[in-house]
Amino acid sequence: GEGVLVRKLSELQAGEKCCVVGTLFKAMQLQPSILQEISEEHNLVPQPPLPKYIQPSDELILEDELQRIKLEGAIDVQRLVTGTILAVYGSEQDDGRFLVEDHCLADLPPPLPWNGPSSDRFVLLASGLGLGSGSGEALLSTQLLVDVVTGQLGAEGEQSCAASISRVILAGNLLSQNTQGRDTINKAKYLTKKTQAASVEAMKMLDEILLQLCTSVPVDVMPGEFDPTNYTLPQQPLHRCMLPLASTYATLRLVTNPYQADLDGVRFLGTSGQNVSDIFKYSSMDDYLEILEWTLLAGHISPTAPDTLGCYPFYKSDPFILTECPQVYFCGNAPRFQSKLLQGAEGQRVLLLAVPDFSTTQTACLVNLRDLTCQPVTFSGFGAEDED
Amino acid sequence: MADELYLENIDEFVTDQNRVVTYKWLSYTLGVHVNQAKQMLYDYVERKRKENSGTQLHVTYLVAGNLLQNGHVCHKIAVVREDKLEAMKSKLSTIASVHVYSIHKALLKDSSPLYNTDYDIVKTNLHNCSKFSAIHCDAAVPRMQPDIPRAQTSLQGSSQRENDTDAPSTPTINGHGPLAAKHPPQQHKGIMEMFAAKAASKPQDTNKETKAEASGVSTASSKPPTKNNIINNFFGKAAMNKLKVSPVPEQSKEEKEVVKPSVAVGEPESSPNPVVEKPGKRTESARIQQKDRKSKMKHLDRLDNEEERDPENAKKKRKRIKQLESDSSDEEDVLPSPTPEEEKALSPPPVAALKTELEPASMEVSAGGRKRKRKRVLKSKMFIDKEEGYMGKAGS
Repeated sequence: GEGVLVRKLSELQAGEKCCVVGTLFKAMQLQPSILQEISEEHNLVPQPPLPKYIQPSDELILEDELQRIKLEGAIDVQRLVTGTILAVYGSEQDDGRFLVEDHCLADLPPPLPWNGPSSDRFVLLASGLGLGSGSGEALLSTQLLVDVVTGQLGAEGEQSCAASISRVILAGNLLSQNTQGRDTINKAKYLTKKTQAASVEAMKMLDEILLQLCTSVPVDVMPGEFDPTNYTLPQQPLHRCMLPLASTYATLRLVTNPYQADLDGVRFLGTSGQNVSDIFKYSSMDDYLEILEWTLLAGHISPTAPDTLGCYPFYKSDPFILTECPQVYFCGNAPRFQSKLLQGAEGQRVLLLAVPDFSTTQTACLVNLRDLTCQPVTFSGFGAEDED
Repeated sequence: MADELYLENIDEFVTDQNRVVTYKWLSYTLGVHVNQAKQMLYDYVERKRKENSGTQLHVTYLVAGNLLQNGHVCHKIAVVREDKLEAMKSKLSTIASVHVYSIHKALLKDSSPLYNTDYDIVKTNLHNCSKFSAIHCDAAVPRMQPDIPRAQTSLQGSSQRENDTDAPSTPTINGHGPLAAKHPPQQHKGIMEMFAAKAASKPQDTNKETKAEASGVSTASSKPPTKNNIINNFFGKAAMNKLKVSPVPEQSKEEKEVVKPSVAVGEPESSPNPVVEKPGKRTESARIQQKDRKSKMKHLDRLDNEEERDPENAKKKRKRIKQLESDSSDEEDVLPSPTPEEEKALSPPPVAALKTELEPASMEVSAGGRKRKRKRVLKSKMFIDKEEGYMGKAGS
């Protein structure tokens, strides 16, 4: 509120209550550091990837343009991650640390006018198809998904419902992690000469699936962590030449990750999940939906990039800052389906959506654009055991 | 169409052929709408059950509906066996649709045969996989081939370098355009030399010329274009096709190559280039004949053969000799009748402008020329090796 002094770090005086705005840096002991790994003095074995890197001994440091200062006090060190823009209210102590009494994030960005459709229109979101994994369990479910969308499955009612699907978004990880095998690098050349990369076969399968989808609905394909495109964010679209059959159709749209689009007047923004899973690793937050909401409040899609998540070194402007509030904000490859409708103070309405990994859950999401509701759709076949 | 016929058809498929008949498979096989196929299957099951003839049928159903799970409504779509059908239906709070998914004689342990059947039938019908579906999308129109030649001519006008760098980004074409655009420059270059030389000059001369032109990189990399010209010289139509492909990797490698901007005319003229440069194999008249024929055939050839050549592009950069062998063997696969080498002398193709005839002709020549070319390549390789050895010694 008013009456609060806003100071830069260099202007701080001990004992004076003020507000400082800066970027957060979390010093973590367990954080994988490439410098430590290659340093021969330490003789360290490279650290195996952990699910979470947080430790009680982590510290928060606030940086502004000129200086940095350690934070302590009423601030949840475990929860916050590096890269967040934060405003803290408190005072500097004699030992040089800043005692925090309160802090706040940037809060939701300004809202967009609502232009949504008046009749029921659906968008189907799926991610983590995981083709090429070598296990056929999800294949029938994938085929059922395609059949429903293309209107072959289901009775008349179902088909007319599927006919109002105006877009399908595949949010990343179309290929399975198994296609990432790097054995060819380690093995001798004469052993691997004739072997084809696993991703080639998987891409052919993807091409066929996309072809079936494209003949009846526009499809947006986003690359993911295991897809053949660049590693750093923003990931570039998959190349057309890898999908020769499907790319003849204008309904196939290969898009970047993260992806923003206006579908039927509704603003969609989403990623394939790398940003959320990275924050998951470095924060005590466990819920993908919670992390998703938190990034929206922090005003930045991926605060941890480029610190722990590979990112292109933008130096003039950061494209990941949220300037307008999207109406559907999703992330792919979540462990399970979650959705929430968030209402903001300035009239924002956001549907937060954690799209589950299809290869494990066989669940996709159907979003109704008219009222921003979402329904999970599960597919299943039958197996040898009695499973329903 | 007789309604009774389909029942017999299904009967035959299920009992006699012991197939797994899914609704999708039936729809494609009989050429009917998917809903109709489902109805047919249902009718068949009903009748068979009524007849009670003893042959046991196993049916799987597709059930779709809403399910209350974890506090929110979840839409579930499942394929279930007949015995589990009622159980599934009772679990769902509202049922959106139930229909027959498949019929088969044997009891299925899991759903993979269903998947395989559907996968196979869709794979064989990929080009019209939405023909029998209930949803039709107006926007889903595959880009037509006319886009490709249009872009070819437009791309030809642009510089060589542009083609190289823009190759992956030309959005209008389906991968054909950039490749095609790369051919004309190389071909055109060859043509100009041909016209300059006027007679069937030795391939070596043209090769050396191109070599000189292409150099700006290293001698090793200029080797490929020379090799390509040699290939072009010896092969007829195949050479033209190879020209398409072999210049492509070269040009993608050597962006410094200076090539005269090709004209649209270059394309029709490019086709006779390889033919003309064949040393003493063809007569002038034959050349002219081929020129005319090829200018017409070129377009189709290019489009048809590009796809075959595409995968070989990458290989072509590295192993020239093996490529030739694989190319000619590919051609053999493509062609109905591979002709023997003895017909080399008769290779000047007859008047009938048939692709197949041209290709066999080029093929034997290629076989004969291959040997020759191989020798040449070896020689030049040795030369370069020696050179490098020498230079290496000097440097170190």
